[in-house]
Amino acid sequence: MTTGKNIFRQSRNNVQRLGLSEIPFTESPTDLQSGTLQNIFTGREKELGQIFNLFQSRERRRIMVYGRLGIGKSAFLLEVLAVLRSEIPEMLTTYISLPANLDLPTTALIALARAMPEDEWAQQQLYQMGIPTATILKERSAEVSASFGLGGKMGEKDLPITKPQYPTVSLDTLLERAQEKYPQGVVIGIDDLDKQNPSVVRQLMHDAQGMLKGRAWFILTGHPTGMTGDLLTSERGLFDLQLKLEELDQPTMYQMLINYLNSARIDNDCTDPTDPRSVLPFLPETAKRFCEVSLGKPRLFNRLGNTILSTAADLQATVINPEVLEQGLRAAAPTLRQQAALNVQEERVRILLQRRGSLSDETITIEDLEQLGVRSFSDILPFLERLEEADLAHQLNQDAAKAFAPIPLPSADDELPPIKMS
Amino acid sequence: MAKKGFGQSIPPTRRIKNFMRLFMERVVEAKGNETKIHQFLKSKKENLDETLLDALPSIFATLTADRLPNERDNIAALFGTFGNLVQNFPLGDQMLNLELSIAAYELSLQVYTREAFPEDWAGTQNNLGTAYGARLRGERAENLEKAIAACELTLQVRTRKAFPEDWAVTQNNLGIAYSARLRGERAENLEKAIAAYELALQVRTREAFPEKWAMTQNNLGTVYSARLRGERAENLEKAIAACELALQVYTCEAFPEDWAATQNNLGTAYGARLRGERAENLEKATAACELALQVYTREAFPEKWAVTQSNLAGLLVQRTSLTDNCIDLDTAITLLQSALEVTASGSPTFINIQSSLGNALSRRYEHSQNSSDLKQSLQAYKTALDAISPEHYDRKEIWQALPTTQSILGGRLVRDGQWQEGLQLLLNSVNQLSTSDNPLAHANALFQTGRAHEILSDWDNARLYYRDALRLYEHLQDQTGIAQSSAGVGGVLVSQGHLEKGLAELAKARESYHQLQKHDKAAEVENLYQATQKAIERQAIEAYV
Repeated sequence: MTTGKNIFRQSRNNVQRLGLSEIPFTESPTDLQSGTLQNIFTGREKELGQIFNLFQSRERRRIMVYGRLGIGKSAFLLEVLAVLRSEIPEMLTTYISLPANLDLPTTALIALARAMPEDEWAQQQLYQMGIPTATILKERSAEVSASFGLGGKMGEKDLPITKPQYPTVSLDTLLERAQEKYPQGVVIGIDDLDKQNPSVVRQLMHDAQGMLKGRAWFILTGHPTGMTGDLLTSERGLFDLQLKLEELDQPTMYQMLINYLNSARIDNDCTDPTDPRSVLPFLPETAKRFCEVSLGKPRLFNRLGNTILSTAADLQATVINPEVLEQGLRAAAPTLRQQAALNVQEERVRILLQRRGSLSDETITIEDLEQLGVRSFSDILPFLERLEEADLAHQLNQDAAKAFAPIPLPSADDELPPIKMS
Repeated sequence: MAKKGFGQSIPPTRRIKNFMRLFMERVVEAKGNETKIHQFLKSKKENLDETLLDALPSIFATLTADRLPNERDNIAALFGTFGNLVQNFPLGDQMLNLELSIAAYELSLQVYTREAFPEDWAGTQNNLGTAYGARLRGERAENLEKAIAACELTLQVRTRKAFPEDWAVTQNNLGIAYSARLRGERAENLEKAIAAYELALQVRTREAFPEKWAMTQNNLGTVYSARLRGERAENLEKAIAACELALQVYTCEAFPEDWAATQNNLGTAYGARLRGERAENLEKATAACELALQVYTREAFPEKWAVTQSNLAGLLVQRTSLTDNCIDLDTAITLLQSALEVTASGSPTFINIQSSLGNALSRRYEHSQNSSDLKQSLQAYKTALDAISPEHYDRKEIWQALPTTQSILGGRLVRDGQWQEGLQLLLNSVNQLSTSDNPLAHANALFQTGRAHEILSDWDNARLYYRDALRLYEHLQDQTGIAQSSAGVGGVLVSQGHLEKGLAELAKARESYHQLQKHDKAAEVENLYQATQKAIERQAIEAYV
């Protein structure tokens, strides 16, 4: 056997030693099959209830889901769409992540056309924009397609999309055709509005008012800074429901951990939180601690979980005891920094944040700002948000201020006692 | 027929040949009387066009081919004369006139080499320097470097010892070029200009050369008005004194044009004067400009008329801040707009007028509150910036005026309900000002942005920007800013239900307004303060019950 194969098997054995078939954590919910997502999606009962209540009426609605970065907006949107698809088969649901440099009607048009592979005119529209048509993709699954077909990837490759001349009209035409087949209507989920410059999004929303008030249901997601702040207030009436997603509480996090682990565990399907086996290879105490450091944020939870399990596998551990957990958390800080690939100014802001323990628009001084070469907190806000996005900082829940603190992870530099293997 | 192209000359048409033949005949007849030849040029001014510019090298080549050396000298001299006359010709297309004169000098220098004709070479270099200094085509910064280089070449031959008078002429021209220079440090360039003028005046005494003495005094006056080193008030006194000396020789009767130029410069100096009574200085300044305009009419001297109009407009704008008189502002705007009609687009004068227009319109907005004034102001600043060379020393000033105007307009549009466009302007201006060296303008833009968000009921962002503005105002110790932004922060906190914190900010705002003697503003804040306090009391009672 080749060395490579040996190492691969060793690596798989290490994960299996933890009682898992694979590491179940992933920071991108669009990478999950929708069945898996439904198994691991936890909590948000109240918010789901609010949305599904709207779907009991025939009136078309516009819904804005907002909340901080990494709070689980995409997973929430995908969950809503998956439930709708199974509960209302007469309704067409479609998902798309807002591509760079594209207006909302064209984005919605692409999403819808991709969900109608049997409609020749729809495929023609896609073909004209240079987008692989659904017949070539064969499988008709609107959500999953986002991860390999379009989604954020289009922005990266910067495919030259020829926008339709009258996207609103084209969309309306396509909606009309869709409604013949789906009498219960069409739901278009547009994710990641916040991945673009707030002023661009503001303009996009402003231009898309006609579309939003048209024939389809719309569920949009974004985070509140800049974009939704003024949209939610000054464009009153644009959204029927503005749903804010908050950090998850600890019991929910604990349950989520159980669900994740259960989706990959070999020979153990215990999901009862009172049974210690439900969190294996974690111990109840390390599971609790892991949930605490995740601060109720699903993406941070996934990122940390990934590093913790990888570290445990490297250590050839069978359970995650406090030492293994600590080792994993220590590995997390440098990993997060490495993944973030901060630029110089972001790194300067990070160091200042680390040094100060927290930064807020209420308490920051002009000296601190001058140290960073700026004069206003609004100048460093984008950098702090970038740190938040990279899980190197989180926003504190302060009512009268915008405040950030570093993610409290143990530093990698601290001395650590050697781990004894049993 | 040879094709027109780079480095090639097209053969002259019959019309151009006739014109040049007539011109040469008139030069010989006029025997040095410039006015006579200007009359001729006036009657034939349509011939001073691009075709002539293209044909000049070919005409020169034909005229000098197979000629005896002394005949070639004559042609070179004639072209030099043509260059001088066209350069000083006040009518026609100024840009083209200067190109024609530069082309003529450069052709003339093909015969007038330094080795064979050092004096003529030096004289032509000197003239070439003045033409480059005034040139409108090409990059201005580069043209001024060429002007300085030409003057310095001239001075290699024209030494003080050998040719004191000519030396003084070129020193004077060198001073002009340095005072306009865009490259290098501005303060240093102005010192060099002063030094050159002072040297020129050592030879150009009032007794020996009264007219030239007056010219250099006038020049010295303008450069003292602009001087950056030394005490500003003192420099302006020197500027006034120099202009007044020049006017002793430059009378309206004897030298109407020079008299007008110096009156204009005197007006500028009085307009900026720091000593004496402000209102009186402005009166003297406007009076001087109005005198200048008696000679500088639109028909006879369109370019100079435009400059003086623009100066007068600037003075009227200044006077407005003393008298609160909107009629002056209206007049100023009309003067500037009419001046633009005759100004070559992209010329230094054009840029100055656009910038002044931007300023005048934004001032008028303060009175009229008419957002079309602001929009036009923004447009004028933008036009100025588009035309100005990045090296221009005024660029920074105009560049800063642009985002400032943007932020005022942005705030205004948000209040008028055009929040989309307004907010965009505000955010642009905040962004641009964040890297400028004008923190007060930055603070003002941050405040306006906070206010816009408050109008949009976007409390979080309103609070964020108000706090940013407040922090910066406190740093700058700007009391008005502190007062208004504390009131902003306080108001937003109260709207969000953070009553105690809001109360503290409101108290700060009230205090600042009292210190500023703005009791009506303080009273407004006091009302909100009282209402908030009552709300706190009510909450306390409810909690108790």
